[in-house]
Amino acid sequence: MKEELKKTEQEALKSLEATSDRQGVNLLRTRYLGRKGVMTQCLRGISTVPAADRPEAGRLANEVKTRLEVAFREAIERLDADSKEPSGGLDVTLPGRSFARGRLHPITQVTQAISEIFLRLGFEIAEGPNVELDYYNFEALNIPKDHPARDMQDTFYISDDVVLRTHTSPIQIRVMEKRSPPIRIIAPGKVYRVDSDVSHTPMFHQIEGLMVGENISFGDLKGILTTLVHQIFDEETSLRFRPSFFPFTEPSAEVDIQCVICRGKGCRVCSHTGWLEVLGAGMVHPAVFEMVGYDTDRYTGFAFGMGIERIAMLKYGIDDIRKFYENDIRFLEQF
Amino acid sequence: MKVSLSWLQDYVTVDVDVVELAEALTMAGLEVDALSDRYAYLDGVVAGRLVEITPHPDADTLSVCKVDVGAGVKSIVCGASNIKKGDLVPVALPGTQLPSGDTIEAGRIRGRVSEGMLCSEAELTLGTDRSGILVLPESSVPGRGVAAALGLSDTVIEFDLTPNRSDCLSVIGIAREVAAILGVPLNYPEVKLPSGETPIEEFASVTIEVPDHCPRYAARLVTEVHIAPSPFWLRDRLNSVGLRAINNVVDVTNFVLMETGQPLHAFDFDRLAEHRIVVRTAKEGQIFTTLDGTERNLTDEALMICDGKGPVALAGIMGGLESEIEDDTTRVLIESAYFNPITIRRTAKRLGLSTESSHRFERGVDPEGIVRALDRAAQLMVQMGGGKLAAGVIDVYPRPIPERVIELSVDRTNRLLGTGLSRDAIISHLESIEFEVEVLDEDRLKVAPPTCRVDIERPEDLMEEVARLSGYNKIPTTQPVSHVVAKEQEKRLRVRDLLRHVLAGCGFSEIVTYSFIGEDACDRLLLADNDPRRRMVSIVNPLTEELGVMRTSLLPGLLTTMFRNSTQRNENLRIFELGRIFLKTGHDELPEEVEMISGLWTGAKHNSTWNVQEEKLGFYDIKGIVDTLCAALNIPHVSFRALKGPGHPYLRPGHAAEVYSGKKSVGTVGEVTGQVLHNFELKQPAYCLDLNFEEVVCLCFEEIRAKPISRFPATARDIALIVDDAVEAQSVLDFIEGLGQELIDGVEIFDVYKGSPIPARKKSMALRLTYRSFERNLTDSEVNSIHAAVTQKTLRQFKAELPAG
Ligand SMILES: [Zn+2]
Repeated sequence: MKEELKKTEQEALKSLEATSDRQGVNLLRTRYLGRKGVMTQCLRGISTVPAADRPEAGRLANEVKTRLEVAFREAIERLDADSKEPSGGLDVTLPGRSFARGRLHPITQVTQAISEIFLRLGFEIAEGPNVELDYYNFEALNIPKDHPARDMQDTFYISDDVVLRTHTSPIQIRVMEKRSPPIRIIAPGKVYRVDSDVSHTPMFHQIEGLMVGENISFGDLKGILTTLVHQIFDEETSLRFRPSFFPFTEPSAEVDIQCVICRGKGCRVCSHTGWLEVLGAGMVHPAVFEMVGYDTDRYTGFAFGMGIERIAMLKYGIDDIRKFYENDIRFLEQF
Repeated sequence: MKVSLSWLQDYVTVDVDVVELAEALTMAGLEVDALSDRYAYLDGVVAGRLVEITPHPDADTLSVCKVDVGAGVKSIVCGASNIKKGDLVPVALPGTQLPSGDTIEAGRIRGRVSEGMLCSEAELTLGTDRSGILVLPESSVPGRGVAAALGLSDTVIEFDLTPNRSDCLSVIGIAREVAAILGVPLNYPEVKLPSGETPIEEFASVTIEVPDHCPRYAARLVTEVHIAPSPFWLRDRLNSVGLRAINNVVDVTNFVLMETGQPLHAFDFDRLAEHRIVVRTAKEGQIFTTLDGTERNLTDEALMICDGKGPVALAGIMGGLESEIEDDTTRVLIESAYFNPITIRRTAKRLGLSTESSHRFERGVDPEGIVRALDRAAQLMVQMGGGKLAAGVIDVYPRPIPERVIELSVDRTNRLLGTGLSRDAIISHLESIEFEVEVLDEDRLKVAPPTCRVDIERPEDLMEEVARLSGYNKIPTTQPVSHVVAKEQEKRLRVRDLLRHVLAGCGFSEIVTYSFIGEDACDRLLLADNDPRRRMVSIVNPLTEELGVMRTSLLPGLLTTMFRNSTQRNENLRIFELGRIFLKTGHDELPEEVEMISGLWTGAKHNSTWNVQEEKLGFYDIKGIVDTLCAALNIPHVSFRALKGPGHPYLRPGHAAEVYSGKKSVGTVGEVTGQVLHNFELKQPAYCLDLNFEEVVCLCFEEIRAKPISRFPATARDIALIVDDAVEAQSVLDFIEGLGQELIDGVEIFDVYKGSPIPARKKSMALRLTYRSFERNLTDSEVNSIHAAVTQKTLRQFKAELPAG
């Protein structure tokens, strides 16, 4: 009898666990606790138990019955609560109670995206001072005083020998002075030029890259920059390398990408040329290697630089560079 | 640099479309900025057929013409007499601007309607004849443009040249590149000079006193010149590149400048005292009037061309008023020189004076092209001005510019470029732009660049020439072989990232502001006179005064950003900036650059929502941000102390704290004072945090060691204390921790209350202590007795009382 009760309880609970709808639970309940149910049968069966054991059996049977009743009641309550009643439900269209979420500045986001591409390519990140010696900003980069190339960059001066860096290239020199090849670095940072209009701000951001080693070629430069452009934009974006001039690289190149707005068909953004100028690059000039004491017979290398704002403007469709520095929260919250 | 296609074709045959040519030049490194139709200015001038000419009833010299201009017949009053019915003539329609600058308008002339103007050749700058109306060919179609009718078509190509390519600052220079690209010959102009009679030395002499500044000076003399307007072809050539024609002598010097790139100067020989030229530097403080009428204050660096008495020209930059060519000039001394580029650049820069001449001398002219250009000018001047040439040339050349010979390795060229070019291919590219190549062996070449290519100094320069002529885009794209192992990112970069993301998670958006601010920012922050942030690095040539000094705090940028947003009614702001400040040091040329992390919170505490009472933002909210940051960065032993003293006058006393990690100050946090808000034109309360990122990086403890956690339940007991108002919560917490009771698992303040029924200058502070053991369940009586002891000690320590009842 005792065994039988135990078995019945286990069976009932197992069936109940396996049922997840109200109708099924009701059926089970009738089966076990109904007037003609299993438990009623059991209680009736007590009369067949020897008289001495009868009180014990009766107590047991009632306990099982009570436990099962509780289990069934809980199951039904649970199922009732889950089934939505239209009258007691909520207006789920009312706004949720959201947490404030801040954004990272678009310049930061683009810098990080580009940095990550280079970190995956095995480059390290280097930094340098914003207020820089004329020597690092110009002379060590093969731009002596009184060189017409100085006109290419309108410089903010602190004194005759101290400037606000006009490009991130001085970081190349600072790194090469401290370390020997092989070198793979990128150097993001703020740069400054005397300029202010729709497409120029007196402060903007650049990212510089430098790779020095044995047997590094212009073809390798093309390879790295192609990878970069394909990762920033997409694999379909073609590149074009044009001869140019930077005093610290030779040969030098200006790198255009196919206009990402019109896909090369010509539009306002690309001045109807189908191309966008995004990068300056070249093989490190031997005069620069001489300045830092590298063996020009043994080492070659390439350097490149690009404006972060330019990339951010293309990526996000921004047409006025000054927006980055107005910091209107409605602008910032879009990123 | 502008070149017209027609002028270019004087030296090279262009048999491709100009758009295609421009593309090819761009890809060879001469970037074409714009192509424009030379005759676009004639757009409003159409061909018209004269259908009727009647005399003007009220003016003898005028006639009234009926002209068919395609779209109808116009009535035009005209004064010319060379036209007849049936002629085709140019008609400038109303709205057209003529080269003279006059805009044609419809109106009445002596009472008769005139709807346009019939034009002469000169009025359209198509020739010199202004005596009558230009008669167009019979094939002209009324209504069509006059440029088409005359078969005029020319394109002006505008280049954006890089500073190394001084050789291309001339039409011949561009033509040399075109010839190389198209593979066609370059035809130099033929120079044939009359022999001349009296040797020039009998008239003039040249002395160079400063050969370092002036390595070469050549001159020729033309006599019996008649100053007159130049012939049309010469004026047309100058016009085509945007230069104004002046007279035959000046026009020739400008023409040769544009043609060869060699700046020339023409002196009125009879106004040169003692008929001699002396090249020397100016006296410090000397005043000289240039031919634009401006008095120039000179330094002893300025190079002067002088005559027997004094200066007559600012060498290589601009001539003087005194020796200018005048209408009565008959004898002209032509100067052609090579000046030291640095000398010219310094003076031009110092005077803020940039001319066609100085632009070329600064970049370096062809030292061997001096006499060629001089001869060309002399030839043209004799031709134009009907003059006579003195025999011979003065050519003083005390500092010969050495010829360059560079050795080039074929193998190294291919290795640097990543190409497989043959030796012959390299030779033919170099020879196409007039480099002389001698083969030394299989690998080595001896290369002499033309003297006009002053930018070519090293083998790498030659490699670039080879690369650009064979095409950068033909160089195979490869990936560098790497022996570098990826290294871990530097700690400061990781911390920066983490900070940014934690702050963004707290609802703060990142801003980026200029590193320069106005010097008055310190006053606006009420900084004391001896505050180190007043020692600012100033910019010598700032864009504006508001951007005149390097910032020494990020707070002005935050407050200014708050102001700018407030003008746009963006009243709820949580912003931060991570950036450098610049502190002047006594010992170093460069300032110390310290990275700071600063944030500002103003306006709402939560995102706006429905049915929730808006809570007021307060000190503890901004402090909570600092708490969160410190926790996220695992900064040890963080504590806050009320700010005292004059160091931070922009923070409200009693509502601001200094943040410490152990004994190290990390920064400040608090409410901005009303006066400072006012100084930034702000009204709404604002709270800010200002932490030293350099300290944060050092303190950020990245290593994590898991502590064991107890598996036994905790029991909590509360204490309520009535203490002096001055008792700081931190001291109570520190005291309980200092008791060293091992079973105390945590202490938390859950209520602070002032006011009735608490006596004045007192406050009630409620603490919750959590007890827990690592070994067993604690019994109630055990906890009660420990808690009673802790309570007693705390009461005694702070002279506190338990609340009544
Ligand atoms: Zn486009």
